[in-house]
Amino acid sequence: MNLISVDSYSHHIHRMVLDNGIVVLVKHNPAADIIAARLFIRAGSQWETTAQAGLSHLLSAVMTKGTDRLSSLEIAEAVESVGASLGSDSTTDYFLVSLKTVSADFATMLKLAGELLRSPSIPEHELELEQRLTLQAIRSQQEQPFTVAFDQLRQMMYANHPYALSNLGTEATVAQLQRDDLLQYHQTHFRPDHLVISVCGRIQPAEVLSLVQEVFGDWAVPSQPVPPLNLPALERFPTRRAIAQATQQTIVMLGYLAPAIPRPELQASDTFSAETSFPAAYSLEEYIALKLLSSYLSNGLSSRLFVELREKRGLAYEVSGFYPTRLHPAQFVVYMGTAPENTETALTSLQAEVDRLRHHPLEPQEIQTAKNKLLGQYALGKQTNAQIAQIFGWYETIGLGIEFDQQFQAAVSEISAEVAQAVAQRYLVQPYVSLVGPADWVLPFVQ
Amino acid sequence: MAAVDVWVRAGAVTEPDEWMGMAHFLEHMIFKGTDRLPPGAFDWAIENYGGMTNAATSYDYAHFFITTASQHFEATLPYLAELLLNAKIPDEEFEREREVVLEEILQSYDNPDWIGFQALSELVYQRHPYGRPILGTEDSLMGRSPAEMRQFHRTHYQPETMTVVVVGDIPYNQAVDLVSRTFTPFATRSSCPVYMADAEPPITTVRRQELHLPRAEQARLMLAWIGPGVDSPLHNLDAQLQDAYGLDVLSVLLTEGRTSRLVRELREERNLVQGISSGFSLQRESGLFTITAWLEPENLERVEAIICDRLSELSALPVSPAELARCQRLLCNDHAFSTETPSQLAGLYGYYSVIADPTVAATYPQRIRAIQPEDLQRLASYYLSPYHYAATIIRPA
Repeated sequence: MNLISVDSYSHHIHRMVLDNGIVVLVKHNPAADIIAARLFIRAGSQWETTAQAGLSHLLSAVMTKGTDRLSSLEIAEAVESVGASLGSDSTTDYFLVSLKTVSADFATMLKLAGELLRSPSIPEHELELEQRLTLQAIRSQQEQPFTVAFDQLRQMMYANHPYALSNLGTEATVAQLQRDDLLQYHQTHFRPDHLVISVCGRIQPAEVLSLVQEVFGDWAVPSQPVPPLNLPALERFPTRRAIAQATQQTIVMLGYLAPAIPRPELQASDTFSAETSFPAAYSLEEYIALKLLSSYLSNGLSSRLFVELREKRGLAYEVSGFYPTRLHPAQFVVYMGTAPENTETALTSLQAEVDRLRHHPLEPQEIQTAKNKLLGQYALGKQTNAQIAQIFGWYETIGLGIEFDQQFQAAVSEISAEVAQAVAQRYLVQPYVSLVGPADWVLPFVQ
Repeated sequence: MAAVDVWVRAGAVTEPDEWMGMAHFLEHMIFKGTDRLPPGAFDWAIENYGGMTNAATSYDYAHFFITTASQHFEATLPYLAELLLNAKIPDEEFEREREVVLEEILQSYDNPDWIGFQALSELVYQRHPYGRPILGTEDSLMGRSPAEMRQFHRTHYQPETMTVVVVGDIPYNQAVDLVSRTFTPFATRSSCPVYMADAEPPITTVRRQELHLPRAEQARLMLAWIGPGVDSPLHNLDAQLQDAYGLDVLSVLLTEGRTSRLVRELREERNLVQGISSGFSLQRESGLFTITAWLEPENLERVEAIICDRLSELSALPVSPAELARCQRLLCNDHAFSTETPSQLAGLYGYYSVIADPTVAATYPQRIRAIQPEDLQRLASYYLSPYHYAATIIRPA
């Protein structure tokens, strides 16, 4: 057995590392006859050059469509004939293969997943098909005013950073992608020392370990290291932009550059010198404080934006926000959809609500409720086997470790109103503004 | 975790035409509190316990749910009972919340799939309320008063229309006891105009409608057939369910996964669609089988012809045992995969309680496994005619 360590943490997650570097996480949950697995590769669209935007998404679309041994149809038959699900996906920060089966089919499906992950054949005709479908998908995304507004905001905030574009890429970049680009990307990033396998369900850790050993144990670590990730510096130049479209509602969206997830080893490329550069060193406290403020503003029916702008003023049906956890500087966003004649009111009131966080500390009751809500939602997000496999595998993949589950909850409990206000004063200063709506209502704000 | 889901037989079908949108608007107004709970107090209480709450309205029902850690079940349930039984519907909140619902309507009209589905429902149901928009319209909402909404609430939120589902780590007796103590007393009964059922003309041709949407980037082909409802004057519940679940199997056979007939042929092999999906929606008075394709406008006629041809094939030839087994296994596993959490289970029991009987929920896998190739052939030929259906086509203008 090539096992080098076995640790058990809270939540009874077993963590094991094979000698080729694969990290295996297992939570035994006998409640239902279901097993979910998430196979994370430390890759994602962060590694794409601007000219190659959409590359990792396209690889995820063709990954299940052929191996040296199996055709696309044979793969689909193997999965669908046992009623399993097996799919791949790419995000900004990682690449993912997900599977879900009843217990009896798990071994077969994990073997298949291993084959797809290690040796996709990327048949030319499947690549052409998925490329064409991706181009159509890029166009159809433009049907959704929210997506148009968000795309615009992302480009304003991230310029030539890979976070600037949707993971589908653009029509121009996707049309140019070649099979060799995909193979090259696969060869560079798909390696055992960049793989985390997270499993939750009716199966014992020892059994998972022996299966993983059988499927991936002979996968050798390439001698070449992965080249360093060189990302452009982010500048903070908040501006306003608008796209005129004949929509029923205007989308008003405000974004602030905000801390990435704090990691012990900070990449060299994340440090800058210019005055306007976005800071690169963040503390856990800053990240947690902004999570709490985002939850306070946007999470649930008792959230500040929902109560003030929807319940008391009837300005919107959807008014919300988000602050995702990212490896590189993230976005703190608030937005709403409103009748075009409310555009100015919406913009002013969203901005006033964020400004308020800088000017006033949260009342004791407000911050306590925000904490209860954030921690409550966090617990509600760990109910299914798939959710559990996802969250622990993700923590491991982005370098936080499975202990982060506990650290996160402890850190939320400790944040004070003064700290939250100070963090708001550091990051929630001047927003980037993205508007989408009828010309007469949105263009005046950018002229 | 514990989930509470209260299902009320007070969906959009209970509205007379002029009250269209009332059931959904009431669902919003329920959250505006009672004499004892000011607006927002309920939301704050549940979320301060770390729980989540929301609600939804369809034609046959409205439902209201809470999920919390089990230890907060006892503290949170009474709030929900208070809201549902004693909704105050204050005049000034009525006017303010109407603005929110009008925004919800505007938002739907920015979604081509919603516009298409609404048009398709109207095409299928020319008399029945299943053809009306659940949200209502600006005109219908502006024509109603808070007093009428209170009347609607006191008529339709009564014990015989309500099912309280509790799932979680709660002793049975404790749950029953708490529900009995808190879901009482109900408001004094009222009455209000009801929908008068009119005979729905059957679809005897192809009913076709084209929409040109300037903001659409791709075309849609949306087809619909009327299927079995739960309530039938001719057949018992078992027979209706057997037909309904047979249509679930046919839907999987046509469009679920890359090996399904239409995905394989139209998306994978002939590259004629960007995507294709289908589904059977089981409702009380009539079910709806739909097939939707997203595609380039030049392929619309060809894809429609191929779909019709493949439906003819289904009624002409029995499916192979292997293909049937694939569909059955997929549906049974999906059923298992979607009953992992207390809130999923509570939703399932509540749904069946409103449209039929909660015990039906547990029989789903065995009913799916009982389906034979000849059943599918009969169902395809009876319900999915290539000559009688409704078609809504969206073209980018």
